[in-house]
Amino acid sequence: MFIQSFGEWLYDTPISTTFRDITWVIPAVQSIHILAIAVVIGSALVSELRLAGLIATDEAPGNVVRRYLPWIWRALIVLLASGTLLIVAEPARTLGNTIFWVKMALVLGAFVLTMAFRRPLLAAQAGDSATPAKPIALLLLAVWVVVIFCGRFIAYT
Amino acid sequence: MSLETTLQQIYDLPISASIRENVNAFPLIESLHVLAITLVFGTILIVDLRLVGVAAHRRSADRLIRELLPYTWVAFALAVISGVLMFVSNAPAYAANLEFQLKLVAIALAGVNMAIFHSTAHRRIADWDTDLPPPAASRVSGFLSLALWTVVIVLGRWIGFTLDVLF
Repeated sequence: MFIQSFGEWLYDTPISTTFRDITWVIPAVQSIHILAIAVVIGSALVSELRLAGLIATDEAPGNVVRRYLPWIWRALIVLLASGTLLIVAEPARTLGNTIFWVKMALVLGAFVLTMAFRRPLLAAQAGDSATPAKPIALLLLAVWVVVIFCGRFIAYT
Repeated sequence: MSLETTLQQIYDLPISASIRENVNAFPLIESLHVLAITLVFGTILIVDLRLVGVAAHRRSADRLIRELLPYTWVAFALAVISGVLMFVSNAPAYAANLEFQLKLVAIALAGVNMAIFHSTAHRRIADWDTDLPPPAASRVSGFLSLALWTVVIVLGRWIGFTLDVLF
């Protein structure tokens, strides 16, 4: 109930109306959103495949994580900002949508897993052997894939 | 046989009709397409940034290219397959859509840019494999690739807002 009335209030605000009235705003913000998702996916793919021992095994896991983890954080900030703009523009499409909340829960889950299991690797020395990381690596990649599907399905539910 | 008849025949194919009629088909294909393009762009971004002069997770540009390009190609194949399925579901509308036409041109230009890179700077990669920054020819290729693929993604998103949907 609160979310619904909040969504209706947001929909009527001048900024929300402006975003909808200028036809290029929503596609432009969605394009930025997709480009940022690509940065997360590219960074996560290389890092997780390395931690799963499937590529770049000659490079220390710590080096690979150090190279890509900051890009995941930067891209997540862009995603949060562009995603917020999309909610402001079309509150009902997102806030009233179960798939949207599933997506948010999965993003939070991926964030927590990355913080818990990837951030400590930043401090790893070149000689350190990686903890058995394959299940978490594959789980994280799977969660990002489901997040992408949820994102597209928000438009259809 | 005119282009319009061909497009209409594609539209009338059983597979096109089933994509239009099954409510979950288009969103699923579109999600696969988004997954594929984020994998294409995400992996090519790492290579292009290295070609521009931003260090990757390994020093050798040639090894980086050989390590990541197979993922780019598999993802690109998935993008083409899912893209073709979306196209056939509404062939006349896509063919008439300006953003769609421009997107195909941008993909072709990205292909030409890649072919030029592989027949010029990449031929001599042994000379600059571990150089940072890499030579100008490599930096130009990397920059053009980044710009063209960004344009491809933006145009692709615009199609979703400008397409005259027939179903």
